[in-house]
Amino acid sequence: MPSFGFGLITAAVLAIATVGFTMQFAVTNVLNLAYGSVMINSAFVTYWVNRHGTSIWISLFAGVFCGAVVSWCLNKFIYTPFQRRNLVPITVVIVSLGVDLVGTFGLQAIVGGSFVTFNMSQGHEFHIVGMLLSEVQLIIFAICAVVLISIHWLLKYTRMGKAMRATSANPNLARNSGVKTRYIISMTWIISGALCGLAGTVFAMNSGVFEATSAQLYIVLLLAAMFLGGPGEPYGAMLGALTIGLATEISAAYIPADYKQVIAFLVLLGMLAFRPYGLFGSEKTL
Amino acid sequence: MPSSIGFYLTTVLVYGAVDALACLGLNMEFGVAGISNFGFIIFQAAGAYTAAVLSMSPSAATNGGFQQYVLGWNLPFPLPWIGATLVGGLLALPFVFLVGKRLRGDFAAVGLLVSAVLLNLLAKNYIPFLNGSAGISLVPAPLQNFFNPQGLVYQLAYGLFATLLAVLVYFLLRRVTESPYGRSLRAMRDNDIVADSLGKNLRGQRTSILVLGGMIAGLSGAVLVGFISLWAPGAWGYAETIVLFAAIIIGGAGNHKGAVLGALLVPLGFEEITRFLPPFGSPSLVPALEWVAIGLLIILFLWFRPNGVIPEKRRILSSVVGRTPTVAVAKDDDTEEPINIGSVDDFNFEGLLKTSNAVNDGRVILSTQGLTKTFNGVTVVSDVSITIEQGRLTGMIGPNGAGKSTTLAMLAGTLPVSSGKIFYEGNDITNVPSYKRAQMGLVRTFQLASEFKKLTVLENLVCAIPKQSGDSFWGSIRGRRYWGAQDKGNIERAEEILEGFGLSQYADAYAGTLSGGQRRLVEIMRALLAEPTVMLLDEPMAGVHPNLARKIGNHLTKLCERGMTIVMVEHELAIMDEFCDPVIVLAEGKVLARGTMAELRANSEVVEAYLVG
Repeated sequence: MPSFGFGLITAAVLAIATVGFTMQFAVTNVLNLAYGSVMINSAFVTYWVNRHGTSIWISLFAGVFCGAVVSWCLNKFIYTPFQRRNLVPITVVIVSLGVDLVGTFGLQAIVGGSFVTFNMSQGHEFHIVGMLLSEVQLIIFAICAVVLISIHWLLKYTRMGKAMRATSANPNLARNSGVKTRYIISMTWIISGALCGLAGTVFAMNSGVFEATSAQLYIVLLLAAMFLGGPGEPYGAMLGALTIGLATEISAAYIPADYKQVIAFLVLLGMLAFRPYGLFGSEKTL
Repeated sequence: MPSSIGFYLTTVLVYGAVDALACLGLNMEFGVAGISNFGFIIFQAAGAYTAAVLSMSPSAATNGGFQQYVLGWNLPFPLPWIGATLVGGLLALPFVFLVGKRLRGDFAAVGLLVSAVLLNLLAKNYIPFLNGSAGISLVPAPLQNFFNPQGLVYQLAYGLFATLLAVLVYFLLRRVTESPYGRSLRAMRDNDIVADSLGKNLRGQRTSILVLGGMIAGLSGAVLVGFISLWAPGAWGYAETIVLFAAIIIGGAGNHKGAVLGALLVPLGFEEITRFLPPFGSPSLVPALEWVAIGLLIILFLWFRPNGVIPEKRRILSSVVGRTPTVAVAKDDDTEEPINIGSVDDFNFEGLLKTSNAVNDGRVILSTQGLTKTFNGVTVVSDVSITIEQGRLTGMIGPNGAGKSTTLAMLAGTLPVSSGKIFYEGNDITNVPSYKRAQMGLVRTFQLASEFKKLTVLENLVCAIPKQSGDSFWGSIRGRRYWGAQDKGNIERAEEILEGFGLSQYADAYAGTLSGGQRRLVEIMRALLAEPTVMLLDEPMAGVHPNLARKIGNHLTKLCERGMTIVMVEHELAIMDEFCDPVIVLAEGKVLARGTMAELRANSEVVEAYLVG
């Protein structure tokens, strides 16, 4: 039961990260492998503001802002120009790996290689149906839940959300039907970038201590959660994240902690081998 | 002092050879065959571990138990190196599922990436296997019982031998790349679905190249570990693969010279430059800046010089020795003049038609029963049962979204059917993969441009010709003496048809630089050279000048008279009127009617659905 509690928090953090990641894939068809580096950079922006005497809950907005701005710039100044050149699709993925190196190790060059921690208290501990959770964990969980519900509302009930879904399903048709796809794509990158920044910050909070390369392997969890729910599917991403988050933490109770992510790897490889379009998705038209 | 410089230079020689081997292997996979193997480093790691544990004594025996590992067979040189090469190749086999036909290239790439991360994680944490993150040390140098591995002569010989291996691999890879098989690999790189539709077995080709690249990587690992005598997971993090990608992109992907240059500039160059940097900043600063530089180099090169320092060279095919390349510049689509396509009568079809002496008996050659396709629960083609008669030019019309292209794709096997059956020459081919259908004579073209962009026009054509003796891995290894004569004949055939279509002046232009109409022609020529019995054309006249379209129509009619069967999806009713009989009308995924155009015009249902409005 305690591992179930940890699993829920991990899953909640992973869910907002994956929703952002999958939205970027949905509207631009890019696997943005630099996502983890944007997350950790945002966490460090939060850290920097926090260390200058601002409450962590206020500093968090700095991280969210950083994620949004950096992601928007990435798409606008790097990915889109490369895509316009009509190169082979893998080129953009290789570019995103390059961006990941620059982002992660550029940060490391600036802040050094040591671990840091936010200036915050973990608060009281609560026993909830057998789970031992700290106040901070509960707040993280609440934030994630609110954000996910907002995303649901955005996609389902707003014009913007509908335009996003249309752009993701068929960009040309959406453009011809009067959707300002360029604007929608920019907005998607800003929103998903904000999710990325938030995810980075709460990921760092949840880890307690972190350093520049802490999120380097987070991309594996992201990919596993995304492919489980079907690439480009925000709801699938939530479900996938819940499964992967719980599975990694619960399995940690039975196998050595070093191997707890193995299950995510296996899920990802299995999905790629047998159902690359997700458990419920199917192949798009050629 | 001179001897320390000597030791330094031999070290550089060994590292250079190891990096060159690795880059050559990856370039064969990525630059030539288009397989983005983001997990390449695990093949090198597997080779290094294999060479180590094969050459070492059993772990408990001589090591005082300070390290644990499997095997420990104590084999003499060169058996550990051979073992490393084999294991590198074998390791490729589990990944074949990732590089099959159906998985997008970038999905396969991330699959390989996470496999690399996973294996690194396992090797690091499971100590009994390969001694965990401490890694294996005290690996014996080859032949150390006979020579002193610390001696300068030994190290120089080691460096020269490693270089010799790299040179041999270079020539082997060049032999494969410049053969008809290499042409097929590059075609697959440029457009895999089209290569598949022309009879290239994608899974087979990718497996061969992944195994070949894995073997080279394995060998490079063995050479490295024999020299430095230790190997640990820290040396093969997944990011090391990105370094090799950077090397190939900078050197020039698809060009083996470029791969070698990249190996010397990036992995070796970075290693050696940082060796001479004065220490500054914190200990992690220099490595961090190195990674930043690699990331920046990848981005900047892909933007400013995507073909690298030494771009892939244009291959000039010719049946005549020493022909000067003809690379006419294509005109813009709108101002395109009708190309002077040869008249029907003086055009020689005999070489093109497999069935040139077949009698036109009008038998049913291709048919479907209840063909259905659904995407995400939406039915695009529903219960389509059609028959195609031999020797006829059957047209297929219908409004947008009627399911014409989807039907064609299912006939050719590009898309799997959701339900229903397809029969060809009386056999059920529903589950026959598309490349096999192409080999059986069922060849399709595509609605969207589908040329192999970085192959010349002539290469595009020659590569479609079936049954080339040099179009297999082993055929390519046997060399030009084995396949050269046949290839010359094939080139002649391609030159002939190119002349017939009036495009000779574009023979050596990259197909990607042609105008839209010219690309359609190249596609039709290419399909003809694939020796089809039944040709499935998806809007062949779209974007083609009307006069030219009429000429193509005449050619197609002539081909049918000579025994070919053609199914053509087309929007232009004038073309249908003139050339097609019968015509099948599809609407909303169903067959609405079938008959001559005159009959269809009299059918009010058809007129309502399509002909008007």
